[in-house]
Amino acid sequence: MKLRFNRSQLCIPYALFLILFVIAPLLVIIYYAFSNGQGKFTFDNFIGFFSSTNTLGTLLYSFALAIVTTLLCLFIAYPTAYFLARSGFKKQYVLLMLFILPMWINFTLRITALKEVLTLLEGNISLHPFLNSVIGMTYDFLPFMILPLYTSFLKLDKNLLEAAADLGANKFIVFLRVTLPLSIPGIISGITMVLLPSMTNYVVLDMLYNSTYIMGSLIGSYFSAYDWNNGSMISLVLLVIIFIVTLVTNRFGDKDSDARRTVL
Amino acid sequence: MKKFKKFVCIGAASLLLLSSLSLTACSGGQKEFVLRVASWEEYIDLGDWDDDELIEIDNPYDEEAGGVIGVNSMVEDFTDWFNSSDYGFDIRVEYSTFGTNEDLYNRLSLGDKYDLVCPSDYLIMKLLAEDELVAYSDEFLDAEADNNYYAQNVSPFIDGVFEENGWQNYAACYMWGTTGIIYNPETVSSDNAATWDILQNEKYNRRVTIKDNVRDSYFPALGILNKEELLSDGLTAERRNELLNDTDQDTVDAAERILKGIKENVYSFETDSGKADMITGKVAANYQWSGDGVYIMDEADGDENNPTELWYSVPDECTNLWFDGWVMLKDGIAGDKNKQIAAEAFVNFLSRPDNAIRNMYYIGYTSSIAGDMVYDYLDYNYGAVFNPDDEYFDDEMTEVCQYDLSYFFGGDVSLYVDASQLEIPDDAETISQTLGSEYGNDINYTVYTTDDISRGRQAFAQYPPQSVIARSVVMVDFGDRLHDINQMWINVRCLDIKDFNPAIVWTVVAVVVAITAAIILYRFRYKIFYRTPKEDK
Repeated sequence: MKLRFNRSQLCIPYALFLILFVIAPLLVIIYYAFSNGQGKFTFDNFIGFFSSTNTLGTLLYSFALAIVTTLLCLFIAYPTAYFLARSGFKKQYVLLMLFILPMWINFTLRITALKEVLTLLEGNISLHPFLNSVIGMTYDFLPFMILPLYTSFLKLDKNLLEAAADLGANKFIVFLRVTLPLSIPGIISGITMVLLPSMTNYVVLDMLYNSTYIMGSLIGSYFSAYDWNNGSMISLVLLVIIFIVTLVTNRFGDKDSDARRTVL
Repeated sequence: MKKFKKFVCIGAASLLLLSSLSLTACSGGQKEFVLRVASWEEYIDLGDWDDDELIEIDNPYDEEAGGVIGVNSMVEDFTDWFNSSDYGFDIRVEYSTFGTNEDLYNRLSLGDKYDLVCPSDYLIMKLLAEDELVAYSDEFLDAEADNNYYAQNVSPFIDGVFEENGWQNYAACYMWGTTGIIYNPETVSSDNAATWDILQNEKYNRRVTIKDNVRDSYFPALGILNKEELLSDGLTAERRNELLNDTDQDTVDAAERILKGIKENVYSFETDSGKADMITGKVAANYQWSGDGVYIMDEADGDENNPTELWYSVPDECTNLWFDGWVMLKDGIAGDKNKQIAAEAFVNFLSRPDNAIRNMYYIGYTSSIAGDMVYDYLDYNYGAVFNPDDEYFDDEMTEVCQYDLSYFFGGDVSLYVDASQLEIPDDAETISQTLGSEYGNDINYTVYTTDDISRGRQAFAQYPPQSVIARSVVMVDFGDRLHDINQMWINVRCLDIKDFNPAIVWTVVAVVVAITAAIILYRFRYKIFYRTPKEDK
């Protein structure tokens, strides 16, 4: 008997994985989020989340941290990726390698090293917890911003730039009207890859001695305090936020420019 | 039907693979009992000592070694010892570790099975209240029987505390200690280190650390809150106990305010990094457990580039007396008599004085085991009066303190400790005494006989004097107040939206709204800004 599989059968391993490690845990989270310690259905956790000034403060703090990190990443990554994609062929891969290289080392090790560097620069690192956290997260997530931007710049058709220049646009206008709009898919995917993880990456904060909780540490502290219901509710709220953000951004992509052409 | 066949094929293949894997895992273990032990990380001798680490004291359990030394790990030694004894069956030890009591408890409630675990006092109480523990057998508690090292050697002090709290039948103490402040006397004055106030003392702004867990934060907060009453004369032990086990909501709220202030003053809430930060001098003072304190002082002394003399202070208000004890779990033992025998043998083996010393040396904590051999070890480490021919002998050192350890060892036991290693009150009584005649040398020493010592170095941290024990309190399990106290702790660590600068709040909200609006506008820009082209219709 020949063993031949069709496509749907090849998907079975992944489907099993999905059911076991994504869907089942999600159901468990939903169950815990809407039940109390005795296993009875309740909305208390949900109401508790939005009525506690502490959780709202944490949400706000996480957003502030994540937004500042994302903006800083974008600010550094955009010109870097631009010049990386534009530079001569040979140098390009070496340069790209330099940015990807740190990703091969575990991030806790990198943050430990960063801690020493920051101590050297600032003296006492606990005096600037917010700044340090932003630096640590930026250090951690920068490659995730550079790579999508880099690929979107690589795909950029040079003929378009030349055409724009031929039609009399100066360099600034070319950038503003051609390069920037065409790199938006890269920006969006960079933002989603940095903004959401940096709301929960509390290990960086712990290691850099920021004693204020963000969403990730809040969930962790509820779970280690045996309070799985509130922990699950916060996870669920975070999940909904992530879901909304991806829903809004997921259709950005290559089709976008095509759509524009048909519209115009 | 064909599809179904393929499916069966894959299923059968994977089943075969799985079962063969599990078969190899099981084979060879038919007559072997597995003892599942869980303890703290870095809490047992892992062996592999250098030859010069040999502790040169009489060792009746291993005459050939010429002292105490850890060659193999403790767990290996136990397995060899057990399997070569006449218990009638062989065992294998599965040793795993946990990081916090909460971690252990979570794992137990998720269904992990262990036979023997080593939680702290309050978790022992919690497990006891939940009826999870197996009582030790009468044979184990019988001090007359052979190999019953725990019953034979446990300190009367530990035995007393365990009996007082009703744990003695269910828990066998492993290590114990106090909590206090490790500080650098060059930057922190002794007066400042003498109180829990140091945690909120702005003089040391961002240069003190505190533990990142609710119990070790709540305790000093209570110390600060009740400072006046704790320091007043005529405070009874009952009242002290009551004050430091107070979990009323008003007290919890007050502690929350204190801890919020402390949060703004400390360098970090640390779980483990405090040790390194203290040794490297990043911080000046550090809330610490006595055992880790000993480790920190040892490391700072031995730092080749920058040797620092650090001290350990037990604040004048109070200290948290804590114990870690071995308990057997009903879920794991499951009524298996042999398992219980093996678990009890494990505790006994760790309590054999030479092994207790090995563990103490390796981890820095204080063992619950007393007896002559442990006293010899103390004398070897901290005794100031010894043979003048010894290479470490210092003839300048003529001031010693007669350090009273009767409470721990029972009877009338004291040790002459170098007085410069302890902070001796100015008005302490002294006598002039000739000591060292047993070494054939009579040296005239100034001997302090006080017990009123609250700060000192390794000897003090490892074996606190009676006066420190007198102001120590066992912090019991929070019981049904746990939830509210945990919530208090989370509140401390979270930023309260009410405490924010309103300008920042509105800026962040505005940015979030602006970004969301921009994305939505961009996403639906064709629908909003462009007219649908007519050709399409």
